[in-house]
Amino acid sequence: MSDPSGEMRELAKKLLENGEVDRIIGWEKGNLWYQSPPLFITRAEETDRLVFDDFAINSLVTYLLDERDSGKKTGIFVKGCDSRGLVRILQDKQIARESVYVIGLPCSGKKDPRQALSSGASESSQVPPAAKCEECLYPNPVIYDVIIGEAVEAKAKGDRFAAVKEIEAKTADEKYAYWTSQYSKCLRCLACRNVCPACNCRECAFDISKPRILAKENNLSHNMVYHLTRAFHAAGRCVECGECERVCPMGIPIMQLNKKIIKEINDLFGPYEAGVKLDETPPPLGTYQTSDPEEFM
Amino acid sequence: MKRVGVFVCHCGSNIAAVVDCERVAKEAAKFPGVAFSIDNKYMCSDPGQDLIKKAVEEHHLDRIVVASCTPRMHEPVFRRATENAGINPYLFAMTNIREHVSWIHTDREKATEKAIDLVRMAVAKVLHTVPLEKSSIPITKRALVIGGGIAGMQAALDIADNGNPVVLVEREPTIGGKMPMLDKTFPSLDCSACICTPKMASTDQHPNITIYTHSEVERVDGYIGNFQVTIRQKAKYVDHKICTGCGLCETKCPNKKIPNSFEAGMGNRTAIYKAFPQAVPNKPIIDAANCRKLTKDKCGVCAKVCPTGAIKYDDQDELITIDVGAIVMATGYDLFPWKEAYGEYGYGKYPDVITGLQFERLVNASGPTSGHILRPSDGKEPKTIVFIKCVGSRDDVKGKAYCSRTCCMYTAKHAHQAVDKIEDSHVIVFYMDVRTAGKGYEEFYQRTVEDGVHYVRGRVSKIYQLGDKLIVRGEDTLLGEAVQVNADLVVLATAMVPSAGSGEIAHIVGFSTDKDGFYQEAHPKLRPLETFTAGVFLAGACQGPKDIPDTAAQGSGAAAKASAVLSNRSMETDPLISQVNDAVCAGCGVCVGICPYRAIELKEITQRAGGKTIARRVASINSGLCQGCGACVAACRSGALDLKGFTNQQIMAEVDALCL
Repeated sequence: MSDPSGEMRELAKKLLENGEVDRIIGWEKGNLWYQSPPLFITRAEETDRLVFDDFAINSLVTYLLDERDSGKKTGIFVKGCDSRGLVRILQDKQIARESVYVIGLPCSGKKDPRQALSSGASESSQVPPAAKCEECLYPNPVIYDVIIGEAVEAKAKGDRFAAVKEIEAKTADEKYAYWTSQYSKCLRCLACRNVCPACNCRECAFDISKPRILAKENNLSHNMVYHLTRAFHAAGRCVECGECERVCPMGIPIMQLNKKIIKEINDLFGPYEAGVKLDETPPPLGTYQTSDPEEFM
Repeated sequence: MKRVGVFVCHCGSNIAAVVDCERVAKEAAKFPGVAFSIDNKYMCSDPGQDLIKKAVEEHHLDRIVVASCTPRMHEPVFRRATENAGINPYLFAMTNIREHVSWIHTDREKATEKAIDLVRMAVAKVLHTVPLEKSSIPITKRALVIGGGIAGMQAALDIADNGNPVVLVEREPTIGGKMPMLDKTFPSLDCSACICTPKMASTDQHPNITIYTHSEVERVDGYIGNFQVTIRQKAKYVDHKICTGCGLCETKCPNKKIPNSFEAGMGNRTAIYKAFPQAVPNKPIIDAANCRKLTKDKCGVCAKVCPTGAIKYDDQDELITIDVGAIVMATGYDLFPWKEAYGEYGYGKYPDVITGLQFERLVNASGPTSGHILRPSDGKEPKTIVFIKCVGSRDDVKGKAYCSRTCCMYTAKHAHQAVDKIEDSHVIVFYMDVRTAGKGYEEFYQRTVEDGVHYVRGRVSKIYQLGDKLIVRGEDTLLGEAVQVNADLVVLATAMVPSAGSGEIAHIVGFSTDKDGFYQEAHPKLRPLETFTAGVFLAGACQGPKDIPDTAAQGSGAAAKASAVLSNRSMETDPLISQVNDAVCAGCGVCVGICPYRAIELKEITQRAGGKTIARRVASINSGLCQGCGACVAACRSGALDLKGFTNQQIMAEVDALCL
């Protein structure tokens, strides 16, 4: 893939100069070769810092939430996975479509800084593709005002629910042992929540003190309350960007539970993918119909 | 310091036989916040209710817990008792130790422990209750009746007689429903039309009733006391204000071979037509799909012959909006589509296998044969007639599991009429059981048997045509023998099913149907004429198969219910509804789509954020529409929505009381 950085910088410069946007969110090259952290710029002369390299893996869309009351317009770069997160935020009415100028970037897969570090590699070519990119079904942005670069073909479609089948094969006791061993690792740093485009409430239920549903102490029981509640809050809304699992410092397979719920929804209500169509009819768990399945009744 | 009183009911021996109520009361006395605890034989009785009042006075209680039956039974009673004792009626919690404990458990020790736990939870919950006040909403003094059959007419007449205006919407071109199609009615054998058509005329002439025929309800918004209804008046192509109903157009219309649904397909009508001579309104409409002028722009004869110039080929559908305070559903029934299910009866390919409703037209003096029973294939009088009961009913393989209730009696009536009208006739009825629950019904059936009708217990396994005979094969299960009848005519007693489109209209009005598609009553005994949607009532066969006396009774019953709503200027609303914490609500709107009662919309608020005033949208609950189901609370991720009386905090307190 050719480097789109030049075009990105040119466009960002133009947008800031003619006042079309108040700020730009993109990526810049960090201090280390395996990091490309988010970049926030408001002046045209800073646009030369923008890059789009192998490590521009972070989704930037949740940063839009910080400015939801500012009335300012943001230019934002999105990959395919990021764009679905943007659809999520727009559908949840957290920002107005007019308040964002979306610059799409087709993406053939990114690399994970943590893998770069752990593999002992010394340059990008030695680092394998990031885990979440291996299962990518939407390499091209599903929503954009302008797109930079050629469309990328999706990789061979593997089994979207392979990881789910692994847990479904377990007995109830094995499942319990598996998940408790995973959740007992959790530090409750809340990185998975903070990075999730579906976690876009103004005030998170976990932060509300009355009633307090999540105690402050870190123990397995409360970790489970946290993870199960988080999964249910994302049910029918998870856009499968995989950011939660990527940012988890403890390597908890968060997407495995998300995908299990997605599979259940698909089984109950028919095929559904969240965050693909902005103007879709109400999603299965966001509407009431008298014909809804109610096998438990 | 909160002071809770706990009252444990024995319900006679209903609870006390399994649960040690005295021990429950003793244990409850130890729970935090409980100042007084006692058990009693019947808490719902007057002495039981007085007990609450006395205890409040003596022990200065400020919150009440009653452990007894289901809240659906007596919650209103105990709320009132709490209020009479001088406490806000919502500082009260009820826990169910009958349906949830004594009726389902047998181990006394464990059942008692469970009852103690339930009381523990109720006490924890009641400690977090806050006083709630009822609010009031104004009421539009007008009713809507959907369906103009016998149930709808009865309901409309009774509401109108009560002094309130009624709008009656009927999708057919005439009111009357199915009753005018019938010949005579069981058990008295009085003429159906003689009962029905005067009722139609009274409905039409009543100053408080406005009828919209050939119309459908397209949209219903609002809530009890304040529904906004949109009615689609379908194009009639005849200006009924000018038309005198002389009928000249009908005689001149060249398209005369259209099957008339009023004749159950046994007779024909023209493209401009009245369903039958006594139709109300007694004016024709044009059936656009079969009119040569409207489909091919040819003909136009009716306009030429009409003496008053009432024909309007450019007529359009019209939308009418009205406000009503209550709605009566009376959408009636259709017959089970037996031709799709019963291959053994020929899937409808034999012309002389007909339904009971078709038989009604054959035997009716105003029907296509002027009341002579003549079979459809060759117009000859049948001598051997077989009636088959339970076609589509009591058959969960091919039809419906339920009993259609009316077929035993109308078949008995048909059999009687056949014997009565046809000399030397031989009438055989194949039946599974004969069910004659009704005043004078069993006597009528016995009379039919005495008339010489031959009842054979067993199902018919096959019908086929041989020459001009229908060979009916079945089994007489009482004799254990195979039976064969060479019949001239076979009449099927097909089951009643909900009328076509009744599910859609239920969805539009906003209430639920049962597994068979009949309208779901709120409670079979306590609220048989109500739906779960306040202000919407049920009458007649839309709720389940019914004969005419039951249907008329329900029509009057639903009218009484609707009139009760309309009798007040305003009504109190239950405060147990959702509330929004604006500060927490993110305005995502998931609750809007999830609300079954369309009670939530987003409204704009202004607030201070980040040092300046911003405008944003948050959820807003319509207190008239909200039924307190809690679906929105479960869907709300941030917890901005909460159900008053069942707050998240109260439920957490209950869970903590049980688990910690």
